[in-house]
Amino acid sequence: MESRNRPAIFLLILCLLIPVGGCGKKTVAAWDDDIHIDMIVKDSRYDYWKVVKMGAEAAGKEFGVAVRFSGPTDEKNIEQQIEMVQEAIDLKTDAIVLAAGDYIELAGIAEKAILGGIPVVIIDSELKSDLVKSFIATDNVSAGKKLGEALAEKVGNTCSIAIMGFVKGTAPCVQREEGLHESLKNYPKINVLTKEYCNSNEDTAEKLTEQIVEKYPDIDAIVCLNAYGTVGTARAIEKLDLAGKVKIIGFDSTPEEISFMEKDVIQSLVVQNPFSMGYLGVKYAVDAINNADIPQRVDTGSTVIDKNNMYLPENQKLVFPFTD
Amino acid sequence: MTKRLSGIKKVFSGIRNFPRATSIQSIIALSFTAVTILSIIFVSLALSQMFSDSAEKNAVFNTQQIMDQVNLNLNTYFKGMMEISDLIRSRLKADTENNENTLSNILEVTSGIRKDIAAVAIYSKDGTLVTSYPKRSYNENFSAADQEWFKNSINDPTDFFFLPPHVQTLFEDERPWVVSLCRGSTFYDKEQKATLTTVVDMNFSSIEELCSRVSLGKRGYVYIIDKSGNIIYHPQQQILYVGLKNENIADALNKEPGSYFENFQGEKRIMTIKNISYTGWKMVGISYVNELVTDKKYFLKFFIYITLFAIVFGTMASLFVSAKVSKPIKQLEKQMRKVENGNFDINFEVKGEDEVKHLSKTFNIMVAKIKQLMGEIIKEQEEKRKSELKALQAQINPHFLYNTLDSIVWMNENHNYEGVTVMVAALAKLFRISISRGNEVIRIADEIEHARNYLIIQKIRYKDKFDFTIEAEPDLLQARTLKLILQPIIENAIYHGVGPISEKGEIQISVTRDEDIVLFKISDNGYGIKPEVLKELLSSESKSPHSDGVGLKNVNERIKLYFGKEYGIQIESEIDVGTTVNIRIPFMENGLKDGGKNGITK
Repeated sequence: MESRNRPAIFLLILCLLIPVGGCGKKTVAAWDDDIHIDMIVKDSRYDYWKVVKMGAEAAGKEFGVAVRFSGPTDEKNIEQQIEMVQEAIDLKTDAIVLAAGDYIELAGIAEKAILGGIPVVIIDSELKSDLVKSFIATDNVSAGKKLGEALAEKVGNTCSIAIMGFVKGTAPCVQREEGLHESLKNYPKINVLTKEYCNSNEDTAEKLTEQIVEKYPDIDAIVCLNAYGTVGTARAIEKLDLAGKVKIIGFDSTPEEISFMEKDVIQSLVVQNPFSMGYLGVKYAVDAINNADIPQRVDTGSTVIDKNNMYLPENQKLVFPFTD
Repeated sequence: MTKRLSGIKKVFSGIRNFPRATSIQSIIALSFTAVTILSIIFVSLALSQMFSDSAEKNAVFNTQQIMDQVNLNLNTYFKGMMEISDLIRSRLKADTENNENTLSNILEVTSGIRKDIAAVAIYSKDGTLVTSYPKRSYNENFSAADQEWFKNSINDPTDFFFLPPHVQTLFEDERPWVVSLCRGSTFYDKEQKATLTTVVDMNFSSIEELCSRVSLGKRGYVYIIDKSGNIIYHPQQQILYVGLKNENIADALNKEPGSYFENFQGEKRIMTIKNISYTGWKMVGISYVNELVTDKKYFLKFFIYITLFAIVFGTMASLFVSAKVSKPIKQLEKQMRKVENGNFDINFEVKGEDEVKHLSKTFNIMVAKIKQLMGEIIKEQEEKRKSELKALQAQINPHFLYNTLDSIVWMNENHNYEGVTVMVAALAKLFRISISRGNEVIRIADEIEHARNYLIIQKIRYKDKFDFTIEAEPDLLQARTLKLILQPIIENAIYHGVGPISEKGEIQISVTRDEDIVLFKISDNGYGIKPEVLKELLSSESKSPHSDGVGLKNVNERIKLYFGKEYGIQIESEIDVGTTVNIRIPFMENGLKDGGKNGITK
């Protein structure tokens, strides 16, 4: 009888242990702060990227992942950005959200990360690589067209203008120019006097503007293709006391640009949605880590604002990111 | 071989019987297990349903409580704001000298210590800024006069209203998001009716602190909307602002305070709505039902474990119990099977429940009774045979005695006294041996002597019509034989063999031994027996009209009864030549005084 009971008692104890074992083992939560996502942008200090960071942080908070934000101190410091990507790879990060400083030069290191099993989501600026999981950015051609429309609205169908590009040959610059030219086809009497490139440097833009105004005293407007160019141009126009005379159609919405717009130095701004870029970048990175399907290309959109509509509820939500 | 076959049969019948589950053990085990499992499953399901129901109720209740607390804090907060604006108003009214310096002093005293107040501004009736706290360089492009809220305030100075979140544009450098309390106040300044509008800009630090402290599960949250559905506060405010997400504001706006279940973007949520006093705003708490469901899942898991445990334990218990109950019954069954196969020498004690014990006891008694009865039957049968035997033996005597006495009388009448003497002496010997103290078995010598005396008597009676010889191996004389087996044969040999023939008859008797067999051979040269008669002579079924065959048959049956089927009589006969009767019995040593019983049981 006793020996008969022994397996029964053994099984009984086993049964008691199973649920206890179940309790002792902590279930792996979807909420996992152990997931690290590296967001590497072009310029960690610039206001535009700070908004991107806000979006990334909001997503990080929502999806429970840690977001490490970094970027070179200068948009043209490609070497530093490559190093940062390498560092993220070395730290075995779970995913990289990259705003590539260069269309070609960042491709190698990004592909290295992808081949090493780290998903890479590209935001803001395109990268020359077929391996990239997802690209989230403003449709720059469309944004360029909006510049042209805003120009026609603020300055008129007949005018002479200059174009302030940023880095010649880079994808967003080329695409915005393309869009702008396309819209200008509708306005044959808008005469493009010159096209300059400020290399994403405010001071260069300022100097270039001074030269343009000197060379073309009858110029009606300057169309700027990014924030650096817009700020530099506005500074020069304000300094030269030409506000209103030489109108500025600019890009993005840094506080300085907003301030210039309130002072009527800048007439219109095409604003992007950096918050969304940051947010979606992290969101899709998380999806990529979880092997979920993510869209290949996402347009975060762009909006034209001017002094009159910038404080409208729908625009102020876009221009002035809500900070806690 | 047969044992193995029956084993295989058993296994097969076991397999055949299994689905029908006819054994007590399987019936008990199955029903016990089924009842255990069913009841556990039922209880588990009921409990888990109860748990999940109460979990949902608890969640709603907890949410309500938490929200009440937050609401209380928010009310206190907005009441505080109202009090500040009240204070400013009362000071404005009391102070007839409303110059910029005194006003700014008032603002600094009332608002300077509050970190959650982004700014306080006082505007005159035409929209010009009288003063503000803090004092910083103002945004020249901003004019209060153009603003909708300012116009409203001037129209009804007694009214107060909160402005939904907006970007503060008062100062030149900063554009923070604020919520504003807008309040007009009318008083008489130097006999002149004056209206001032006070705007208190609150930053979100306090509101956020109050709302984000709330814990409604892992993902639950609280948001605030105003009367027209503008979001006042939301933990994902900017995400909503840029349109990356939506909130179910329309529903919250239309519903009365309370708790509601809603399906939003594929997720089941509990929406709890509270009104915030003063502001006309609504506070909405969202908690996710699937977080409760994880609790549900946990319970379910727990119950699955309990059920599994109960199933295993219940099955084991039922197996144990059924084995315990059925084991003695099985033992009993085994014993019964033995009895069935004819073994009555069993007496077993079954351990177990009272009923089974009683059953086995009764069975034992029954078997014992059967055994006893069978013994009695055997004994009776034996006795019956013995009496039959004795009757058969007794059958011989009357014929013979009558004839012999007849002969003696006849001889006496003829004065043949010598013959009378021989005959009477032979008859006396004959009877002495015949009686032989009632023994069934006698020495072969005595049997021969008996035969000899019989022959002597018959020879006299038949007037020397035949001669006889008796030969026996000397060492056989002391061996034993069933008595009176020769005489009936001899009687036949005389009556039917040598009797009817005309020439002189010859009867030869020999006793020889072949290994374990003693062979009596009685040969005559008489008439012989017809084959058809011979055929029927020894068969037990034959009711031969030949009454004289009775003796021969009797002897044969007696031998077979006594020693077994392999012994008995064999007859060879040929018409006009003679007959030889062979009697075979087993060789029995001297000293076997009472072989009768042995003979029968053998």
